[in-house]
Amino acid sequence: MQALEYRGSFAFSILANFFDFIFGFLQYLVFFTAAQSIAGWASNDMLVLYGVFMLVFALQFIFLYPNLVAMGDMVNSGNLDLLLTKPVNAQMLLSFRRISLEELGSISTAVVLLSWLVYNGTIKLTAAGLALFAVSITSAMLLVYCLFMLLMCLAVILERLDNMAQLMWSMFAVCRYPIDIYPSRIKFMFFTFLPFAYVASVPATALLGRANPTTVFAGLGIALAATFACTMLWKKTIKAYTSAGG
Amino acid sequence: MKLFAAHLATLKAHFRIIFTYRGMMIIQAIRLILLPMVLAAAWLSIEKTAENPYSDSDYLLYYLLVPVILNLTDSRLVFRFPLAVRDGSLSRELLKPFPPLSGYALESIANNLIQLIYLLPFTIIAGYLVKDRLLLSHLSLQLLLFAAVAVALGGLVRMLISGSISLTGFWLEDVTTLNLILNGGIWALLGGMIVPVATFPEHIRRFAELLPYRYMLSFPIEILTGRLSTTEIWQGFAVIAVWSGIFALSMRLIWKRGLKVYSAYGG
Repeated sequence: MQALEYRGSFAFSILANFFDFIFGFLQYLVFFTAAQSIAGWASNDMLVLYGVFMLVFALQFIFLYPNLVAMGDMVNSGNLDLLLTKPVNAQMLLSFRRISLEELGSISTAVVLLSWLVYNGTIKLTAAGLALFAVSITSAMLLVYCLFMLLMCLAVILERLDNMAQLMWSMFAVCRYPIDIYPSRIKFMFFTFLPFAYVASVPATALLGRANPTTVFAGLGIALAATFACTMLWKKTIKAYTSAGG
Repeated sequence: MKLFAAHLATLKAHFRIIFTYRGMMIIQAIRLILLPMVLAAAWLSIEKTAENPYSDSDYLLYYLLVPVILNLTDSRLVFRFPLAVRDGSLSRELLKPFPPLSGYALESIANNLIQLIYLLPFTIIAGYLVKDRLLLSHLSLQLLLFAAVAVALGGLVRMLISGSISLTGFWLEDVTTLNLILNGGIWALLGGMIVPVATFPEHIRRFAELLPYRYMLSFPIEILTGRLSTTEIWQGFAVIAVWSGIFALSMRLIWKRGLKVYSAYGG
């Protein structure tokens, strides 16, 4: 809503997001000028992955990202203190205080891309596949929220956090390519301690109809555990917070 | 001479300022390293097209060096300058007996050099881990020198392009979109980030070699892989020189015109 006050710059950011999407798309096309397939994923499969990736991140950018930016500023300026004294759940307030509508452009393009892939037959819709997709996308969103919480804690600890857009993007660079490309030990890590596999790869395999239900539900378990752990960490961090000049 | 001393002093001051925000530098290092590592893993697991000349060793060397070159040729001008126009701090800079753009350029250079402290250990460790798969026997002093010159020139051209874009901040409220297209997007596609320029199909490669973007990232590494002949290296330098000239000129023009429009906010 805040964005609507500055309509010119709002239109500009929608345009910017659109270009983000286009360039992301072109990256895959360019990639496949020098490669035929990557770890068993053909170029159409990769587009499914990209569609899921865009969907998750557009949602992240709409709901979480503006709050993260605000958090960085608040720690630096000391406004966080004011908010912490309010008699409400600070975590909820800090997480969902703002939303950003600029990303509506990329979420709709992601939906268009996925619909097109359904139409051309790359994604075969089945009840089981859709159910697995629903579960895995929920875990994906929870995991993204965890990363968001970790960055919030980092902002409190480091007292300065800028360039967050770029940082978020590069963290998730890991999800832009299928997890199958990594050596087996790293792959195991991405399925367990650093659960990046569940953010885009697993939901994409669900849409492609080759997901393993055990993996999908393991992902949900990990996501729930991680959310719990991050909430605990947040509480600890806030307890240790000494404010600017402290 | 006095001006040189002033430049040196400013550079030193920026070194100190940047050092106070060390935490940020570590995060920045992670940011620089992650995508190249992902891409290295991706390229090592592809099924190649027939005309792709790169071996696994080439890809490893390439993406090991990407973060370093990426950092050295980076320019923060485009984030800093429009901000200075908007919040009016440019007015203060203009009053100083010191070229105002140099200040921003020096800050950028200081930042890139300090960042190396956090990047190089990683590169060395990663290089050591994959040392059995890296072929480095072709490296010579001459290649290293060529590469160093290429990095410096690449940094220059990137700074001039970023500078030209950031100077449009005199008119545009938000230059990030323009930057994203001209400096970010095309650069990632054709500069060698996603795909090493040398592995493109012939027609795309020819085109990419004429654009300035290859010289900010791919070119210095291509020199180090030893796959470029001396003639090709000199041709590359010629292309950079032409682009530097073009953008230096455009920066100068935009600066002159921009200053006339600039009245600080509230003016």
